[in-house]
Amino acid sequence: MVETGSAPAAAPAAELGSLMSGYQQSDQGAAATFIERVSPLLHRYFLARSSDREYAEDLVQETWMRIHKARHTYRSGEPVLPWIFAIARHTGLDNYRKRRRLEAHERQVDVLPEPSAEQPAAGQTAPGIASILRDLPEKQREVLVMLKVLGMTIDEVATATSSSPGSVKQKAHRAYEKLRGILSAGAGMK
Amino acid sequence: MTPEELDRQIAEASDPARHPWDGGPAAVSRAKQAILDDLRPVRPLPPDWALAVGFLFLFAIFAGSSALALGMYGVHVLSGWQSVLIFTILAGSAALAAVACVREMRPASGSPLGAAALACAVILFPLVFAAVFHGYGTHDLVKQGIPCLIAGLCVSVPAGLVTGWIIRRGFVLSWSRAGGAAGTLCGLAGLGMLELHCPNLIAIHVILWHVAVVLISGLLGFLVGRALDAVNNR
Repeated sequence: MVETGSAPAAAPAAELGSLMSGYQQSDQGAAATFIERVSPLLHRYFLARSSDREYAEDLVQETWMRIHKARHTYRSGEPVLPWIFAIARHTGLDNYRKRRRLEAHERQVDVLPEPSAEQPAAGQTAPGIASILRDLPEKQREVLVMLKVLGMTIDEVATATSSSPGSVKQKAHRAYEKLRGILSAGAGMK
Repeated sequence: MTPEELDRQIAEASDPARHPWDGGPAAVSRAKQAILDDLRPVRPLPPDWALAVGFLFLFAIFAGSSALALGMYGVHVLSGWQSVLIFTILAGSAALAAVACVREMRPASGSPLGAAALACAVILFPLVFAAVFHGYGTHDLVKQGIPCLIAGLCVSVPAGLVTGWIIRRGFVLSWSRAGGAAGTLCGLAGLGMLELHCPNLIAIHVILWHVAVVLISGLLGFLVGRALDAVNNR
């Protein structure tokens, strides 16, 4: 159940590795292809965590800026996806903190009611995977998104999240248990 | 609900067709253009082992040179087995802290080890010192301890600045973690200098004031890193 590979990756890992190496060597074609191949994955990753499409696009853009600054830290021959998603998850985390701080500041100044982060507002897309996963704890949701939405392996997720494969399996198992309970309860109510 | 049904629901909800990728929204196209305009070849970071050896070298240089400058009185009053035990554990702790620093330089390079290195040092050294040295009298404890604490920090702070400068060569995702790791390594350099220099072998003095250098350096590094994180995320 916690096995991976249910979602096809945008390109085989080896191909992404060679494109990344080309990007490091300033090969324009390799860099452009690499961005085109990886952007949809990043977009799906951020959309699965927030149903706000515009916000997800901003995060993809910011992640690319960070990847560009960090490109010398990628080591040729190593899997690219864990390296990319280690950067992406920190970009998401930093932005989440920044957004919360700004919201708190705005509330202090304007005393406006707190907007719900979970409800899609005007201009946002219909709820999809983000709404299914929204009741999961952040770490379980992250693991499930990487495994099931992006099709990463357990080892890749462990590397991207700086944890052990055992911990990833445990989080995925707990996420499944919880999701099953939530979705079964939802189906029962219908 | 069966696992297969759950898998199917997740697959349907995350179907790329729900949120089609239309070749790149404007924001991503701008990012792509900015990247392509700024494309230059980069030299990848040296291997992890080379970086770790470099950090260990830095640790040894700061500890050794400052002890040489102040006088190697401590090492002369230690017996052979005391020296072997203390400096072996010191080298092991420094190696752990060096690996922790390396891991903070590259995304996806393994679990963070900075907190483990700091915890290991501040738990292990008091136990070792308690086993090796004797004397728990508090006479002149503060008077004799403060100069050791200051001397240790005078070594660890500049070592921390150099270590931070090297760590900056990589791409740090969390400066608070990186600062904690660097602070621990440099605190160990301060402790190393004190073990080579300080001839006071009273257990309470060594446990309290020498180990405090590692603890304060580690916490200081963490706090400085946290401030940097706050500035970067502003």
